[in-house]
Amino acid sequence: MKVTNKLINDLAPREFSKAGVIWTWLLIIISVAGIIAYIDQVIKGQIVTNMNDYALWGIYISNFVFFVATSFVGAVTVAVLRLTNNSWRTPIVRIAEIISVAAIIMAGITIMIDMGRPDRLLNLFIHGRMQSPIIWDVIIIPTYIVISLLLLYFPLLPDFALLKKHFKKTSPKLSKWYGKLSLNWTGSADQKRIQLKSIQIVAFLTIPAGFMLQTIDAWLFSTLFRVGWDSTNMGAYFISGASVAGVGALVTVVYVIRRAYKLEDYITDYHFDKMGKFLVLTCLIYLYFNINEYLIPEFTSKKEEITHMNVLVSGKYAPLFWFVNIAGLVIPIITLLFKQGRKPLPMFFIGFLVVLGSWWKRYLIVTPTLLNPFLPMEGVPEEWHHYFPSLHEWLITAATLAMALLIITILVRYLPIIPIQRTADEQKLLKTEKNTEI
Amino acid sequence: MSHLNKIRNVFSAIVYLIFLISGFQNLYAQDAEKNKVRLKADYVKIMDGEVYFNLGATSRINKENVDVANIELTISNEFDDDEIELGKVITDMEGRAKFVLKNLAAIQPDSTHTYNIVISFKGNDAFTRASKSISFKDAIIKANIITKDSINYISASLLDAQKDSLLSDRLLNVQVQRLFRPLPIGKEFNSTDENGTILVPIEEGIPGVDGKLTFEVVLKESDDYGTVKALVNAPVGVPIVEESTFDKRTMWSPRNKTPLFLLIVPNLLIIGMWGIIVYLIVNLFKISKPKIEKNENI
Repeated sequence: MKVTNKLINDLAPREFSKAGVIWTWLLIIISVAGIIAYIDQVIKGQIVTNMNDYALWGIYISNFVFFVATSFVGAVTVAVLRLTNNSWRTPIVRIAEIISVAAIIMAGITIMIDMGRPDRLLNLFIHGRMQSPIIWDVIIIPTYIVISLLLLYFPLLPDFALLKKHFKKTSPKLSKWYGKLSLNWTGSADQKRIQLKSIQIVAFLTIPAGFMLQTIDAWLFSTLFRVGWDSTNMGAYFISGASVAGVGALVTVVYVIRRAYKLEDYITDYHFDKMGKFLVLTCLIYLYFNINEYLIPEFTSKKEEITHMNVLVSGKYAPLFWFVNIAGLVIPIITLLFKQGRKPLPMFFIGFLVVLGSWWKRYLIVTPTLLNPFLPMEGVPEEWHHYFPSLHEWLITAATLAMALLIITILVRYLPIIPIQRTADEQKLLKTEKNTEI
Repeated sequence: MSHLNKIRNVFSAIVYLIFLISGFQNLYAQDAEKNKVRLKADYVKIMDGEVYFNLGATSRINKENVDVANIELTISNEFDDDEIELGKVITDMEGRAKFVLKNLAAIQPDSTHTYNIVISFKGNDAFTRASKSISFKDAIIKANIITKDSINYISASLLDAQKDSLLSDRLLNVQVQRLFRPLPIGKEFNSTDENGTILVPIEEGIPGVDGKLTFEVVLKESDDYGTVKALVNAPVGVPIVEESTFDKRTMWSPRNKTPLFLLIVPNLLIIGMWGIIVYLIVNLFKISKPKIEKNENI
């Protein structure tokens, strides 16, 4: 009982420090600026963006792909580690679930931002053709949102019941909310049985749903017969890329929360070491896919492919291309292969680099391909060959990123970020095992 | 009295001067802002079909030729000092318009059997008035298909309608109607012989729906006769085997013709996934059931 009380005291949600409050307000201000820019975009139309007849997908779509990729962290970390019974996952799974929920919600919102007439959203459901991958995307995103929420919610039930008791005296209002959210959890055998069974099912469900989500996202590109997209490898390529983005985001967020909440006793160097190994594995797989994606077109040397490759390797996108591949993949791989590189602080910087690289990687997937169409039109205005997002696009995109961080921040503020009940159970089990050995 | 007359004269001079200046200002303002319109008109006659005028309006603005859209053009028929208005048309966004006559009998020629048409624009705030005259005589093309030694030929004769005389040394184009633009057949230039006739062999293997081809014999933009076109339909082509997938379920069909596998597989996945989601939500209700609490209390 003492163990549980200590855990509750350590892990129960706490009010933000001054830095936390400033951080939250900063995110709110960026979000509001983006909302104002979006309202202006709705009023004036997408003329306020720098998208044109060639670059008909811009920063919004690359941002959408980034969010979809990041949301994969739920499937890759939570579900896979849970189903393979990796016990080191316990302190990080909830953070992964939170990132997954925030990212997939913002992916859904971002794709609506890209629509010229968002008021016609319902038409996608009414008149959608099942032949179009866009419709599959429209179906899988809400499905994945619900699954991610369930994956987050089921394991939270015992913790909500504990928090209800914990806040009964200090904050009755909060206690009442936790009580409602705990769904009358008493820890009965029936409740535990149903909960564990449900967690197992939702974990199973998350994996195919996550794979479908990433594959459909990849097929949005690969079914379009464009240079750089026309690849049978695209589904697997996106899944491996999503694993990198997801785990990179997880490492970064885990480090910040660990530091802000002083959770060094719960999220130890051991966890970072494990996450580091996991991240290096995903990076190596992604590097392998990248080599496949770039080397084969270089060998086959089709005219359009070579033009595209030149734009990436030595053309105007070369600085970004090399940054994405070296800073976003090669440096993380080299660093993480060494034990010292898998310590918390280096891991934070590596995670941040990976996330940054992942975001710009999506920009490189979307934009250069669009600017080099198979059938160039005659007399095309010079500006169609170039694309750089407008102020509206930057503001709105920054706001979506801020909103994702805001969702994470709010959930971190009100949810126990490390599963209390499960940690207590594991510690009790550990003690029992030690006693038995003695 | 003379003093009064002097004042009257000065006053008149001032008023006259004011009118004069204001008049010049108006003229200057109009000249400074208005651009000239250039009108273009082509007469086209389809044998046994419609007769029409293809009209165009352009203007040179800032050293560039610009199509003049939405201006009203008046089409008139001039003959023997008379002028009859035939109608009006408004140019489209490309500065073009088409004025159709029922047939050539709707207009009258002058004493030399020449038809004179005037296209005029009365001017507006942006453009000055303009007009364009065209004159043409009536010509007839008689065309048909003949077969010699198993080879099909287009035979066509060109006549002056009024004189009923065959026209020699005139260039006629022979072409087959296609979807986007006609396909020329035979030599590049087919000149009418002394009998006003041309004979052009038809290549084998030209595809057509059910083997039907529509040939065009065209006297193109002649100074005397304008454009005259005769159409000949003949089943001398190779029938196109229609490979339409319009009624089939394909990846490019509308939603009511979705391939069955794309209806069955995704819907099974959707039902499967949402079935499990519903089951999980029911589990949440089961967890919150008071019955479980009771069991626990017991």
